[in-house]
Amino acid sequence: MIETVELTKNFKEVTAVEDLTMTIKDGEVFGFIGPNGAGKTTTVRMLCCLISPSRGSAFVNGMDIAHPNDRIKIRGIIGLLPETPGLYESLSAQRNLDFFAQLYGLSSTVRDRRIKELLTTLDVWDRRNDPVAKFSKGMKQKIAIARALVHEPEILFLDEPTSGLDPQASLTVRNYLLDLKKEGRTIFLNTHNLDEAEKLCDKIGVIQRNLLALGSPEELSSKFWGKATVIEARSLTPEMVRAVESIPSVRRVDLAEGKLLVELDRPDLNNPLIVRTLVERGAEIEYVSELKHGLEDIYLKLIGGQR
Amino acid sequence: MRLDKVWIVARKDMSEFKTNKYIVFSLVLMPLVMSFVLPIAYLVPITMLTGDNSNVPLDLHINITSRFEGLNVENVSVSNASFVKSNLTNVVAQSCIFENCTLTDVLARDSVLLNTTIDRSYVIRSNIEASPRTDSTLSGCVIIGETSRTVNMLKTFIDSLLMFFILVPVMIPTIIASYSFVGEKLNKSLEPLLATPTTDMELLAGKSLSIFIPSMAAAWISLVPFVVLVDLIAGPVLGYYPLPNIIWVVGSFILAPLFCLLSISTNVLVSSRVNDVRASQQIGSLIVLPLVVFFVITIAGLITLDLFYMSVFVMLIAIVDAAVVYLSLKVFRREEILIRWK
Repeated sequence: MIETVELTKNFKEVTAVEDLTMTIKDGEVFGFIGPNGAGKTTTVRMLCCLISPSRGSAFVNGMDIAHPNDRIKIRGIIGLLPETPGLYESLSAQRNLDFFAQLYGLSSTVRDRRIKELLTTLDVWDRRNDPVAKFSKGMKQKIAIARALVHEPEILFLDEPTSGLDPQASLTVRNYLLDLKKEGRTIFLNTHNLDEAEKLCDKIGVIQRNLLALGSPEELSSKFWGKATVIEARSLTPEMVRAVESIPSVRRVDLAEGKLLVELDRPDLNNPLIVRTLVERGAEIEYVSELKHGLEDIYLKLIGGQR
Repeated sequence: MRLDKVWIVARKDMSEFKTNKYIVFSLVLMPLVMSFVLPIAYLVPITMLTGDNSNVPLDLHINITSRFEGLNVENVSVSNASFVKSNLTNVVAQSCIFENCTLTDVLARDSVLLNTTIDRSYVIRSNIEASPRTDSTLSGCVIIGETSRTVNMLKTFIDSLLMFFILVPVMIPTIIASYSFVGEKLNKSLEPLLATPTTDMELLAGKSLSIFIPSMAAAWISLVPFVVLVDLIAGPVLGYYPLPNIIWVVGSFILAPLFCLLSISTNVLVSSRVNDVRASQQIGSLIVLPLVVFFVITIAGLITLDLFYMSVFVMLIAIVDAAVVYLSLKVFRREEILIRWK
């Protein structure tokens, strides 16, 4: 579990992160989204005990990131994939992973097993003895992910894991992250890729120095837009619109391009009544669906509002 | 600090160095130059200047047929004669013995000169002992009981070679460290390393050790052929084998490691501020300056390179070392590295 309380980081006069308070539960995949310079990487660096907070506190699995003894322990239970792979280019993939596995105190047998497991899963086992310098960007990213996972960390911090990768490599990485999610690993994902965040994350945090929003994609959608039902029907008339508007739980109704947009509370309870009202007045219903606001809408609404 | 982690970091770095042709080249080339090229290029010409500077007297087989004492001899040629307390001017002498004499404008050959003042004269293949000389030329002579200027020069040059020897563990770290620290910065490989459960001290010690080991190994391995070669070149001239001596032992096993450490620590400081391998090498190589200054002072004859001055120099460098190591420890902190090492 990760818990931050008013976590703040100042670099001289510049405040990178301010009053960040949030909780990420065990096994959750948390997506941290925000524009460049919003404080995502700074937050990860604080939580990985690479830099100290200026104010506030944070706990990783109950350990204090400000406590010198806890800092070493925290670094032992986390895995970090930084924005750039940062591999030792002249060394082989296996040697890269073996070095980090040794630093995490893994025995020779465990190291060999783990490295084989990871490189096989990520489909780079055949190239294990090649210098990393000869690898494509996607392969390097896979090795960097393997490095972050070599010691089977309890919490994984991923900073833009698919940044700069081609669609195929991105898909491989994303699928692997989905597998990790299924394993129940806690993942902290910094990303610009909203589609990726939407697919992978249980919880989203939108940051621009301050935490602007926190919740599951559905929670955020309903928080900013409320619930809405879209009804596509033939023969819609203004009289039908007025009839729907008169239903007590309906807040607003718009008719455009043969579609009725109904903003309301509890659509699960009220949709049948709306449909019955329309049918009784002669409407021929084609489709009834929920209006969904994607993460992109939420992001643009929040960040656009800030700008 | 856990030594096993220090060693893991050091071993990884050394594996990387093995794949870097510039580092391998410097590790091989500098000791090669030090061991073979330098003694030959530096000492052989001096030994040629000295000619036969052995203190073993020449076997002259002088057969004395006449003896003179208290004479003033001018404008004559003499041979197989012995002169005591005499003044000889404008004389050509062959196979003579001069004792307590004064020779002016004399050409002497195959002779023995003892307690004799030699002025404006030319002495060939003779044994000379306790005889002051002014404006005179000696050729193939043995000067008994007196160290010649060229022999002194040879000794000074051998001492000054210590500077070149110490340059090996000073310059190699400059090359390796620039790749090690700046290379990690350029590669952006420091961040994942810093995220491991290692302390700043373990990382710095590991990285420093990975530079220290090959640098000192190269220096010490090159020392063996170097000492042998210097002894082979200078031994016959000096009449004894000059190396190893106490100055060299102190220089090689105390001063050289101290300078190596100084070079590494300075490069940590430099690396925290530059982003270019060449800039790092150029600034880091300034560390040779105190070494050069000390040895220039020695060669210039301002001080004699004896154990006292060596000890003072060693202590001075140890103090500077402590200060620079302390500063490099302050620079090599996770937060500093991530925020300021740009």
